Amino acid sequence: MTVIMNNLVIPVGEEGRTRVLSAFLAKLLELGVVDAMIVPTMPAPGVITYLLAKDAELVRSQAEPFAPVMPINGASAVAGAVSKKPQGRIGALLKPCEIRALLELVKLKQAEADNLLVIGIDCIGTVARGEYKDAYPASNTLPVREACRVCLNPNPPDTAFDGINIGYIGLDDCGCLLASLSPGLDPGIVGVIEELGFDKGDALAKQREATLAALKEERGDAYEEFLREAEAELDGGGVEGIAKMLAACTGCRNCRVACPVCYCRECIFDGDVFEYETRQILGRAGKKGGLKIPQETLLYHLTRMNHMSLSCVACGMCEEACPVDIRLFPLFARIARRTQGLFQYVPGRSQEDSLPFTTFREDELEPR
Amino acid sequence: MEASREFEPKIVAFLCNWCTYTGADLAGVSRIQYPSNIRPIRVMCSGSVDPMYILKALLDGADGVLVGGCHTGDCHYVDGNFKARRRLAVLGEVLDELGIGRDRVWFRFISASEGALFAETVREMVDSLKGLGPNPAKAVWFT
Repeated sequence: MTVIMNNLVIPVGEEGRTRVLSAFLAKLLELGVVDAMIVPTMPAPGVITYLLAKDAELVRSQAEPFAPVMPINGASAVAGAVSKKPQGRIGALLKPCEIRALLELVKLKQAEADNLLVIGIDCIGTVARGEYKDAYPASNTLPVREACRVCLNPNPPDTAFDGINIGYIGLDDCGCLLASLSPGLDPGIVGVIEELGFDKGDALAKQREATLAALKEERGDAYEEFLREAEAELDGGGVEGIAKMLAACTGCRNCRVACPVCYCRECIFDGDVFEYETRQILGRAGKKGGLKIPQETLLYHLTRMNHMSLSCVACGMCEEACPVDIRLFPLFARIARRTQGLFQYVPGRSQEDSLPFTTFREDELEPR
Repeated sequence: MEASREFEPKIVAFLCNWCTYTGADLAGVSRIQYPSNIRPIRVMCSGSVDPMYILKALLDGADGVLVGGCHTGDCHYVDGNFKARRRLAVLGEVLDELGIGRDRVWFRFISASEGALFAETVREMVDSLKGLGPNPAKAVWFT
């Protein structure tokens, strides 16, 4: 699925790329391409948060498009803003894993893509929120999160949305950013952007592609190595192995909240299904001699693996959210590779790929 | 006379109202003998069996879980059994990846007229589970 993009060069001068890109995004808002723009900002030192801006000046002066921090997976933020038919077009600057999660939410009918202008941006990795804040402004030397070190998608997918992708990987020496417009982008928007008078950048696009290919190969090796190590963490496997791995779980559900694709408004684990009466609890405890309380923490994680691993975009926010440092990312990475592999499903790639649970083939998966 | 009482597996069975449950009924009406190890739960469709129900049974110590649905093309709700097949395939991958193994979870298409097949399936499953031995989850309290 190669897509021919319309590549334009945004020159970066003295001002630096942060303000230049912010100005470009502000311009889109000013020119009425979008009615609001969602961008990362820094309202307090080292604290990154998403801003839905109506005022272009806010974007121009305060957007932090290159901050190496994911406050939340932006897909959740955007879906919240466009969950119903939006009146007016909303633009959103998102990292690759955020875009991929957003596409899953669109497929799951949790976000409305029609009036959304998705602006993707390359991402070479993010650092842990807390570490970033503590070290700010000397945050440049922090280690990149594990999920980012083995991320196979440092560039936003070309086929997910008809939008704009901002590239910088492989373009260090050109003093520029690359804005690639999807072929399906609204001609009205393309017209407005072309009016801004940027040069064509097809040669730079090729240069970026080459660097990306090398980076992905490197990451691919790191990913395989990481999965091998993850296997060792399961401690022999079986119910006992996985129960040990998840034994510290307090049942706080933070991982579910942080997960961009775990979307149910009412999770079964929040209802009264598992609110047992004392009589039942004593019965359950009697069978095994005792019970871990709060109960059903392992069932909760295993259920999540079944319900959402097909759409897992490997952003690692679940592990970031865990108060007791359970190694959720390697676990979900392994599960997702298997379940997604079963249907050759790549979450967040294209709107044309149906969610595996919404479709079927008559002759498949036999013998059962 | 305590010596070597044979391990009798407990099987939780989710049976579709339109096919397998009626098939089980037919087995009974036809007086076909089969082991009493299964605890049938009637569901409206195999497609309504969330993997969570199966996991819950396994974690609580069931030795096996049988899901029974209509043959392909016969689903009362058109495609519930196809969807169940996908869900259970994903469950199988999860169980295998965690080293729990998918062999305690069976998904079979048994129609309302196949009482004999139902009885045979239960016999086979009981034999298979006897080979596997008791579910190790019975001994893990911290689940």
